[in-house]
Amino acid sequence: MAISTDTDTQSAAVTGLDWPTEYLRAHLPHLALVGLLALYPSIYHLLAESLSLYEAEILLPGVETMTAVLYFGLFAMSFDFVSGYTGYLSFGHAAFYGTGAYTVILVANGAVPLLGPGTPFVVSLLVAGVLAVLLALVVGLVSFRLSGVYFAMITLGFAQVLYVFIRGWDYVASNPRDGPSVGPTHPEGFQIGVPGVDQLNVAIGVLAGEEVTVLGHTLSGTAVSYYAIGAVVLLCYFAMQRIIHSPFGRVMVAIRENEERAVAIGYDTYRYKLAAFAVSGFFAAIAGGLFAGFRRSASPENSFYFLTTGDALLASIIGGFGTLAGPLFGRLFDETVREFLSKSGQGGGLLPYLRAGLGEETLATPVVGDTSLGVLIDTLLNGHASLYVGIVFVLFVLYVPDGLLGTVRQRVGGTLAEVSAARFRDAASESETSDDATGGDEQ
Amino acid sequence: MIVEALADFLTLSELGRVVVQGLAKSALYVMIASGLTLIFGLMGVLNFAHGSLTMVGAYLGGLVMVLTVSQSTGVVGRLGLFFVAIVVVFGALTILGGAIETTVIRPLYDRPPIYQILLTFGLTLVVDEIVRIVLGLYGMQPLSDWQAALATKPQLLREPAALGPVEVRWLSVFEILLGVLTVAAIWAFLTRTRYGLYIRAGSEDSEMASALGIDVRQVFTVVFALGIGLAGAAGTLLMWDVAWGASVPLAAETLLPAFIVVIVGGLGTFRGTVVASLVVGMTDSTMTWWFQNYIRFTGLPELTLFLVLVVTLVVRPQGLFGVEEVGGH
Repeated sequence: MAISTDTDTQSAAVTGLDWPTEYLRAHLPHLALVGLLALYPSIYHLLAESLSLYEAEILLPGVETMTAVLYFGLFAMSFDFVSGYTGYLSFGHAAFYGTGAYTVILVANGAVPLLGPGTPFVVSLLVAGVLAVLLALVVGLVSFRLSGVYFAMITLGFAQVLYVFIRGWDYVASNPRDGPSVGPTHPEGFQIGVPGVDQLNVAIGVLAGEEVTVLGHTLSGTAVSYYAIGAVVLLCYFAMQRIIHSPFGRVMVAIRENEERAVAIGYDTYRYKLAAFAVSGFFAAIAGGLFAGFRRSASPENSFYFLTTGDALLASIIGGFGTLAGPLFGRLFDETVREFLSKSGQGGGLLPYLRAGLGEETLATPVVGDTSLGVLIDTLLNGHASLYVGIVFVLFVLYVPDGLLGTVRQRVGGTLAEVSAARFRDAASESETSDDATGGDEQ
Repeated sequence: MIVEALADFLTLSELGRVVVQGLAKSALYVMIASGLTLIFGLMGVLNFAHGSLTMVGAYLGGLVMVLTVSQSTGVVGRLGLFFVAIVVVFGALTILGGAIETTVIRPLYDRPPIYQILLTFGLTLVVDEIVRIVLGLYGMQPLSDWQAALATKPQLLREPAALGPVEVRWLSVFEILLGVLTVAAIWAFLTRTRYGLYIRAGSEDSEMASALGIDVRQVFTVVFALGIGLAGAAGTLLMWDVAWGASVPLAAETLLPAFIVVIVGGLGTFRGTVVASLVVGMTDSTMTWWFQNYIRFTGLPELTLFLVLVVTLVVRPQGLFGVEEVGGH
């Protein structure tokens, strides 16, 4: 980091570019990624439907899945924010996700005092975030007196207390074990946008998403949900990234690297950890709220349960622990594998493809004993994606401990944005000093 | 109302029943958790796959019983076969545990402890899913208890037993006996054998132990293998208890209480684990009684157990018998 700030000041002087250009250059990989994600629904539509490339449909996750990747990716990022940067494994992070999800649904059902069912979605998201911050402060006040395995266990303990409680509390739903869903008090879709201005809002949801026509091009409800949720996730990512790169974030990393030394320098690490935990809880609740807003229902199992935290952990490790953006890629990887190996999907998945491609006779061929090939691939591929995800996860822990993004960063020697920006600068400064600029180090 | 309820709770027959059930639960908890605590105490590995391997043990034990027990097998025959099943499962899972340690855990000793949590968490996914696939091949339901295995339980263990005015289940008595046997066996192994000495030395200071010529790596493998074997033996017992039963969710159902017991007792102390399982078992049976009779909140026993965990960590973070340095203080 120290090197890059050095070159920052130098390069601005050398290249003589004004800062917006410089800034955009520095963020070229980010822009490219956001652009790619923004084009994804069109690309998917083009490949899978217009050109009817069956293979594309099998390999690429559907737009609805991508939406799930986005909001769960945000949850995984918030998990990484505290666990990956301060080194305190927050094993009860699902509590914040669940708080977000349940708050949004309960507000829509008119079950939260002072907030009617008509409360704008954005407001209930913020309320959910604030509630999670309060929860994080309560849990953190106690938990940050511990460290290591004990911290992981006490946060797990708190989250499981909430899970068991919410699963038995019949105020939240008529059948609390199945969890609440949005009732008749809020029949319309949840709207993301500026509250109070109808034109600046779009509804999200699997069915409730609204169609929007932009420049004569009609976007389906699914695509609109994808963009709207994507915008919120992007905003949250920027906020978290900003915090990580602030002096506050430096202290978080210092705590991870050597807490005793951070204390010795004079930082009150307890407060820093608590604040980081609260911030992370806030974004986890936003993620949970988006999930509930999109799906219109939640269950204790997919929100408060400790295996939800496990999924975030999976995404973080595969994507890269302590990289912030990595968990999103980790989740994308995870979901792609899961969808590839699930039987249903919208025609996607390996199993229907094999069934269609192999033909009756091949499928009936006995492979092991009397078990035919058809039965065998059915057993191995039907809904057992967790097996393959688990194997991939174990391999990552063993051989790629830095995860996808972490390894890439190690290879290129810095974050992609820094490295590519530095290359640009080199090229620019070289062309200034000597006209026969070599494009050699630009690849 | 509260006075009435208390008076009801404190009658000899009710209290006696709660105590016996509490002891039975404690016995189960100590069996589930002792493997976990041995592994953590020596190697500092918090084994997240413990619950899954207990579940595998339940299915394997069930398999042995279903294959060997016929309608005509009597009580003695069934109990005898049950001990055979425990031995078989213990052996099989010890081998599996040894294999796991040498292949995937060993490369991680030099890394931060978080990676061992991650790895064993990944193992859980793999093991659970493999069990699901195998069950699928035989057309069994992964989510509901394996009834055929439950049916191998001898008639005697289904009947109530009267200990004076206290009416209990024979199964509870059986579980308490097995629990006591397990604790005695582990205690004797740790304090009366040379290998137990190695383990205690390794837990105390593994560098010093290896400097004294003990092959600590080998001790690690043996302890991990034995810990997994114990998980399997516990699973075999759970297969007969209707409150648990052999099913895939058993993995999570056993993992979390085992964690509570191990943490409350103090990570890595066997004595702490025994005391903690008594505390947790008694709390569980008491709260179960209150739930059944007065407080209609489904999650009450489970909720209290996690509260016990949280309160312990707040009041005495190293656990009842734990040493401050263990586990990152």
